[in-house]
Amino acid sequence: MNHHPKPETLAAYAAGALDEARAIALAAHLAMCVECRRGVADFEAVGGLALEALDGESMSPGALERFWSRAGLQEKAGAAPSFGGDIRIPEALRRHIDGDFDGIAWKPVSKGFSQAVLDAKGYRSGALRLFKIDPGIRMPRHSHGDAEFTLILKGAYEDELGVFGRGDFADLDGEDVHGPRAIGEEPCICLIATSAPLVFRGLFEKIAQRWVGV
Amino acid sequence: MAGAALRLVTNNENAPPSSGDVDTASLIRAVADRGDRAAFARLYGEFAPRVKAFLMRGGLGAVEAEDIAQETMVRVWRKARLFDPAKASVSTWIFAIARNLRIDHLRRRSRPEADIEEREEEADPAPLADEHVDRRARDARIREVFATLPPNQHEVVLMHFYEDEPHSAIAQRLNLPLGTVKSRLRLAFARIKRELEDLS
Repeated sequence: MNHHPKPETLAAYAAGALDEARAIALAAHLAMCVECRRGVADFEAVGGLALEALDGESMSPGALERFWSRAGLQEKAGAAPSFGGDIRIPEALRRHIDGDFDGIAWKPVSKGFSQAVLDAKGYRSGALRLFKIDPGIRMPRHSHGDAEFTLILKGAYEDELGVFGRGDFADLDGEDVHGPRAIGEEPCICLIATSAPLVFRGLFEKIAQRWVGV
Repeated sequence: MAGAALRLVTNNENAPPSSGDVDTASLIRAVADRGDRAAFARLYGEFAPRVKAFLMRGGLGAVEAEDIAQETMVRVWRKARLFDPAKASVSTWIFAIARNLRIDHLRRRSRPEADIEEREEEADPAPLADEHVDRRARDARIREVFATLPPNQHEVVLMHFYEDEPHSAIAQRLNLPLGTVKSRLRLAFARIKRELEDLS
């Protein structure tokens, strides 16, 4: 793996500040990347310091007594919270991350390029989708208006930033314009998280945008 | 170089990994080993008001914030045995529990009809290989670096962890351009990362 999330992206994840789609894409990268899990754990430690730095807000009178009766009602033990990121990936997506791409309802967008929209509803929803790009096919050049995360699940692509293979994570700003081209022998399957619609350049791309529906 | 000065400090790895003069890790151990309610009450006094303040800073009302702070402490009580000081300090552990409950709460509030997974109750989906990480040394270094950040970076980092809509809310509150807030955060987080590079 050569491309990783930026430190501020790992920190935003640790702070719980990413939207649902981006949080899922980042969690999927963390599932594959020990180094970034450690990075998230580091920024969670900053969260611990931030908690320590707060002046407490008084609990209402009798709060501790109410606590004990509440705790008494919930004696069953649960799982421990995970560290190095709260890995929480939808089951359907987990299969794809494990390399199982059967049963995806691909919708063709243009020649050699299809997509499948995934559910990423949360209180801060985003747009999450899978792209499948055949070898040699170039995506229309586009920017995003807002940050875009791309995680490669299978195959590889090349763009202005370099070569991206399985597990690589493109952490793009709104201003970045790129046009990835799938390379190698097999289709490139990647997971894309955005909050804002893609902005395609040029007429063909604008038509494509209508099909992508973003 | 800043890194050289910091190294001296991190030799002191036996310093209590958590807040103030209370050794919260041994309080948790007392709760885990013998259900020590007095020890728990001290933890509660230390953390419940801070968690409530954390949630209120994130935009929740006092009643909601107190309810989730209570729930956070219920998890701490029930899961004390699962607390592992090799993985996180007590305050990091409690921060992560509160953060997750906050997200679950906001989700539930925005989509009451949806089947929302209780993330903490679900079986650990993919137990991750426990790589060798010297958490204590890293935490000590992070504490040092965090304390020595320039005040204007320190401020936005704290706000980033408190506010629910971080960048825009921070920019608005500090009356700064969004780009300034983003670059301060970027500098602070890059520095923290850089200062940890020589540690396992």
